[in-house]
Amino acid sequence: MSALQIMFDALSLGSLYALGALGIALIFGVMRLVNFAHGDVIAFCVFALLWPSVDAIAIVFAGNLPWFLLIPFVLVMGAGLSVLCEFVVFRRFRNTNPATMMIASFALGFVIRYFLLMLFSSRPKSISLLPELSQPVTVLGARIPLLQLITILVTVGVLVGLTVFLRRTRFGLEMRAAAENFTMARMLGVRANRVIMVAFALSGALAGAIALILGSQTGTANIVMGANVMLMAFIATVIGGMGSLAGAVLAGFLLGASATLLQALLPPEARAFRDAFVYGAVILVLIFRPQGILSARGMKERV
Amino acid sequence: MRQTSSLTILRRTVSTPVILILLLVAFAILSWAVGSRPFNQTVIDILVQVTLVTGLYIFIGNSGVISFGHAAFACLGGYVIAWTTIKPMMKKNAMPGLPDWLMSMEIGWWAAAALAALWAALWAGIFGAILMRLSGIAASIATFAMLAMINAIYSNWSGVTGGTSSIVGIPIIRSVWPYLAVASLAVIIAWAYSISRHGLILRAARDEPTAARASGVDIPRARLIAFVLSGAVMGAGGAMLALSIGVVTPNTFYLGLTFTTLSMLVVGGMGSLSGAVLGVLILSSLIQVLRWLEAGVQIGTSTFALPGGVQEIGLGVVMILILMFRPTGIMGNRELKFPWRR
Amino acid sequence: MSLLNVSNIGIRYGRLTAVRNVSFTMAEGEVLFITGPNGAGKSSLLRAIAGVTAPSGGRIDFADHDITGKVPEAIARLGLSMVPEGRDVFGSLSIEENLMVGTGMHAGENGWRARAMAELEAVYATFPILKERRHSQAGLLSGGQQQMLVIGRALMTYPRLIAIDEPSLGLAPNITDQVYERLIALQKERRLTLLIVEQSSTRAMMVGGRMMLMRGGEIVLDGDARALGKSEAIEAAYFGYGEQA
Repeated sequence: MSALQIMFDALSLGSLYALGALGIALIFGVMRLVNFAHGDVIAFCVFALLWPSVDAIAIVFAGNLPWFLLIPFVLVMGAGLSVLCEFVVFRRFRNTNPATMMIASFALGFVIRYFLLMLFSSRPKSISLLPELSQPVTVLGARIPLLQLITILVTVGVLVGLTVFLRRTRFGLEMRAAAENFTMARMLGVRANRVIMVAFALSGALAGAIALILGSQTGTANIVMGANVMLMAFIATVIGGMGSLAGAVLAGFLLGASATLLQALLPPEARAFRDAFVYGAVILVLIFRPQGILSARGMKERV
Repeated sequence: MRQTSSLTILRRTVSTPVILILLLVAFAILSWAVGSRPFNQTVIDILVQVTLVTGLYIFIGNSGVISFGHAAFACLGGYVIAWTTIKPMMKKNAMPGLPDWLMSMEIGWWAAAALAALWAALWAGIFGAILMRLSGIAASIATFAMLAMINAIYSNWSGVTGGTSSIVGIPIIRSVWPYLAVASLAVIIAWAYSISRHGLILRAARDEPTAARASGVDIPRARLIAFVLSGAVMGAGGAMLALSIGVVTPNTFYLGLTFTTLSMLVVGGMGSLSGAVLGVLILSSLIQVLRWLEAGVQIGTSTFALPGGVQEIGLGVVMILILMFRPTGIMGNRELKFPWRR
Repeated sequence: MSLLNVSNIGIRYGRLTAVRNVSFTMAEGEVLFITGPNGAGKSSLLRAIAGVTAPSGGRIDFADHDITGKVPEAIARLGLSMVPEGRDVFGSLSIEENLMVGTGMHAGENGWRARAMAELEAVYATFPILKERRHSQAGLLSGGQQQMLVIGRALMTYPRLIAIDEPSLGLAPNITDQVYERLIALQKERRLTLLIVEQSSTRAMMVGGRMMLMRGGEIVLDGDARALGKSEAIEAAYFGYGEQA
């Protein structure tokens, strides 16, 4: 494997984690909620393409849409479910402590997961999602799957778009203000419900994007498919400094890079333990920097 | 001067474990008297869950830190049972990478369960030394990472754990009494810890962290003691779980177990030992009813059955509703007591 | 016609009563100081008016709307701007961004953008230091500058009433003087209604206007600040003499 290939692997895996971390950090920012249901929203987005059936063979339904309809469909499904979660459950937890909200989201994630199990059974199903993307392309002399390239480009696009939204629009300004001091923002007329709703919608759409990437990459639909990305995303938000979007993204890429490097450098018999090594490394990082690599700056500098 | 001596605390609180254990004994006697196999298994399930949830309570209830990682200690305990009670011949096939001394070991259930508790406590000590420096949400997420880490290791270390495949051949214990003994022991340990100096200090630190730190309490150390103790009880619980079903896989002790134990603790009341035990009894009954409905009920000539998954959905919904309307659970911070002790 | 009408407000935190049966009204353009010792219930009262704390009883009307139990953003949109204790700037946002947050509630109105820009210039004219450092992070400002920023930020919402909790908290006396100087100038210029909470009555007596003294969750004195300052009643009321004797 060439160094260039490793780099592309690292970037695409990091992209996945960064998108996940962003989805977690956006909601944490405005509501101090660690959303354990995020991984199940990801899985839901993949299953939204299938017709409910407990058979082993997937009955592709919406998955047959042409790509320019399929992608918005998945993003809207993610945003929709996420907003629904806010509306039905999280809205009633606004004034409770973060620990209670966290457990509630954990329970909600299970409800979503077993709802999928009820409709689709727990057996993984093979699907063919955007098969055009699996063909390889040559970039700078390295042969990499087109999907990898697209994953990286999409992530860069999302990051640029989100930055512009947060920095340059009125609504983005309101969201950043709310993330820093929710009550104060409300006293300046910022509508709490709208800000939180948009945060959930964005987070859900990001889950949809992850679902598309994971679905095309693995070619399977599995009710637990979001769990691993979600866990990495949690870790990224913790080491990025809870509440810092930039920190979460950076830590996501860092996790992707370390996982890829471990995969490449570990002896073959130890490769299966790659993720265990990553978790271990994270725990070690936390000993030395319990507040994260980049702690949220705004919070500390407040006098 | 009104100084509360440890003897008065003991006298004032001892009725709680007594009531709880009597409750468990009543269940055990009931199952023995009924003598039906499925009911017997249900009571065993309940006693195993009591052990696990009590283990979880020791840490969460006293420290106030939510742990998503305790199922990992049950996993450690469960595999100790597989390593030490399965016949060597069967072990050779399923787990060829075991060292010779472990391969030839075949010990009784109580010794194996004690080893399981020790093994889990050892790892709780190692992980806890690191994790207990964190607090709040970061600590919770780190415990989740610990669970994932142990699960990843046990799922892939094929020579020693058999990987993700099921390890069968654990001699199943069908009598209810061993489970009663371990569950009662767990309740006694939890109670003894909560009235010990360490337990009182940790609860004080939970309620008034700033004041506790100012008066020189080493919070990470106080938490570590609770973490190790609860890890040991969790390990014993995992061992009993393995002995009750006769099979272990890494996923027996993963998110599903985390979810059920945590929901039972939340519903009962995270800050109360009685809540932990009652949570198990209440949710186990709910699970039984839902399981029964999933299996199908004959109404007239047609069979009515709920689809699979309803059980977990029901559990999740109950948990969310409790958190919404009674966030401190059924018991809050109160304990069951004999009325004349007040 | 009064702008703010508070009647029989009570506030409880669990078993603790912070405010009991407080009633008062404010006319448009009035300056009202609420003073009193720590724990008198001043901040609780202000938070209830701003919609942050729900009162346990009573009714609050502002600009002919019943705002009892309304959410903070709805109250802000009626023209009641709250500057809480401790200033609460958005530390990671730039100064200009801090000022612009509150303009969003008028978005969509005719010519709101031009009006916001004009208001921004007006705030900058009042507080030149803010213009000078418009792009730096608000968290890096000194305490006095932050106080000016939050007053400017409140002005950007075109309020009819500004409620300020302890503007002098943690500021050197000469800085406090500056803050008050600007505040009163603004009040005169725009006929603003000001509701100011301060622990000490001295400032109220210096600035003038109406003063209410709170103690133990109740209003114990209400009158012209300067006139009250000359009487002995104030000291007695503040410390609660003559009640336990």
